[in-house]
Amino acid sequence: MLENLLLGQSLGDPLFNPLKYAIRAAYYSEVSLETIVLLLLLPLVTLIIAAFRHLMGLRGFGIFLPASLAVVFLAIGPTLGLGLFLVIVLASTFFRTTLRKLKIKLAYLPRMSLILWAVTLCVFAALFGAHFISTLGVSGVSIFPILILILLAEEFTRVQLGKSAEVAMTLTGETLVLGLVSWAVLALPQVQSFALLNPETTLLSVLALDLFLGRYTGLRLAELWRFRKLLRK
Amino acid sequence: MKLSSILGLNSRSAIFGNNSARSKRIARSKILTKRILRRAGVPTPKLYKVFRTDRDISNFDWGKISSSFALKPSKSSYGDGIIIVRKRVDVENKLTPSYWVTSQRKKIYKEDLDLHVLDILEGAYSVGNVPDIAFCEEYIARHKVFRRFAYRGTPDIRVLVFNSVPVMSMLRLPTVESGGRANLHKGAIGVGIDIETGVTTYAIHHGERIEYKPGNSKVKFSGIKIPSWSQILEVAVSGAAAAGLDLCGVDVVLHSERGPQVLELNSQPGLQIQLANMAGLRKRLERVEDLRVLDAEHGVRIAKALFSSHAKRKSEDTHVLGIAEKIKIRTANGAKRVVEAKVDTGAHRSAIDKKLARELGLLKARNILWKRKVRSTFGEEERPVISLVFWLRGKKIVTQAGVADRKNMKKRVIIGRRDLGGFLVELGRKK
Repeated sequence: MLENLLLGQSLGDPLFNPLKYAIRAAYYSEVSLETIVLLLLLPLVTLIIAAFRHLMGLRGFGIFLPASLAVVFLAIGPTLGLGLFLVIVLASTFFRTTLRKLKIKLAYLPRMSLILWAVTLCVFAALFGAHFISTLGVSGVSIFPILILILLAEEFTRVQLGKSAEVAMTLTGETLVLGLVSWAVLALPQVQSFALLNPETTLLSVLALDLFLGRYTGLRLAELWRFRKLLRK
Repeated sequence: MKLSSILGLNSRSAIFGNNSARSKRIARSKILTKRILRRAGVPTPKLYKVFRTDRDISNFDWGKISSSFALKPSKSSYGDGIIIVRKRVDVENKLTPSYWVTSQRKKIYKEDLDLHVLDILEGAYSVGNVPDIAFCEEYIARHKVFRRFAYRGTPDIRVLVFNSVPVMSMLRLPTVESGGRANLHKGAIGVGIDIETGVTTYAIHHGERIEYKPGNSKVKFSGIKIPSWSQILEVAVSGAAAAGLDLCGVDVVLHSERGPQVLELNSQPGLQIQLANMAGLRKRLERVEDLRVLDAEHGVRIAKALFSSHAKRKSEDTHVLGIAEKIKIRTANGAKRVVEAKVDTGAHRSAIDKKLARELGLLKARNILWKRKVRSTFGEEERPVISLVFWLRGKKIVTQAGVADRKNMKKRVIIGRRDLGGFLVELGRKK
């Protein structure tokens, strides 16, 4: 579908439409259209995540993790993505508490490595189990989504270790929300075709909005709630 | 309160976060902070031992240092990875090794301490998990004033310093939940402090207002008088200045004999302090932004004149004032001088005659808070605003006063609305 749209487009003046020509060239050298669309939409996704933080106060784990989570959801679907994430987080939390209960004292990096060892086993078990549920469509699973999910789980356990389980839960929850929102935008066919057909407009408007966001110094939505008592005074 | 008075995360980093790269580096590392503070002569807890590599730990005898100490990572935030050891217990028979007791009353052995140091060196608690340095420092037991209010750990006083002026302050009390640590994120209680008097005002726990200690309705948080208050503020300002930080949160602990000690500096201080003081930070920061501050003492004086909260003080009985009142003014050398003053509800700020101010020694550079441009019939002129302490009907008022030429006026001092809170004025009243 994207292919037909792209080929049906007249490119116009190369001086004002350099990206359109670049996309066309990439298409002819057999770069997949999905990659091109994702590349174009990635700045939009990071803009959304930045806006959620600066206007609403939703933090999550930085900007990279929610963005890659959105790509993971796009690749293997949100149900399977969330399922795998749950398996990974549960496995690492369970293994960590067991290590502590058994009083096995290990240095930090070997301990982390050991936890990832357990996570790998659990992911295998989950994939084996998913094989029997035909509706899940495990075929899209490649190493990259799994690596990103493991990265997220590591971040989760790190925060849990350093701060508290509560903070880790909120941050992870926020990351998942950000990932889902970004995924919803990424997966919209209208957004995809608009970005592909108007790459210059897309990137320039993202640039303008980024500049605006960076200069916004007002209160965030969450802060309005946090300081409500002060405002009422 | 207006929206624009409150400081949010966006404005903290965008407008007031102009700390230099060097000063931020100092604030990030507790070890570096200690070194800089010591060099500048700012009091800080004694350093016992620094662990830089694994080798430092393999031949270290924990019994050699004081039996109570704090083991900390250099680059952690929110108090992560800090172990506070209260005492060492040596067991009589030689078979069982001696152990230490932490502030959470947990027994720990030499191996636990070693392993914790290794964890720190690996970067388990540092921001971004980069390799870190561990160190042991003197543990400062809590001051007896705070004994009723804090649970086990040592409370500290967070002073927010901006442009060498202490703009806001808060007492941080550890709770059972925070595990003896004084971080609000960990569940400690924050109590706002009036900058002028050092008396506590409102308390917050998890962002909600509380009045009494959780689980003990006999212990009230407001009205605690913090000892050595001016000294605490001055030490905080000197600490921030030593690191070259423009906006920073200074954590000060009170040692029973040695007085205030700077624990650490934060280049990105938390914003809950606004709730504990029921006051907006942004407005306060804007008010001191362009001032020229001479030294720590000057900065503290400015803060006391600007941010005192007369309104909050309970007035036991309301005095009725006439138009003319006798006041006592504190002179530069601490004496009191009786002066006739005019009560002027039409003026905002109090004012004092230039000649009188000079006579009382109040026009010295140290006492001038800032200069104000005034437009009058003679064109534009700069008038100094000075710090002024006076007693009106026995009530001490710490404030600011404009200096003007009033030699042709009957009364050489006028008292403005700013300082008349809690008084009534009766127009026809004769003394």
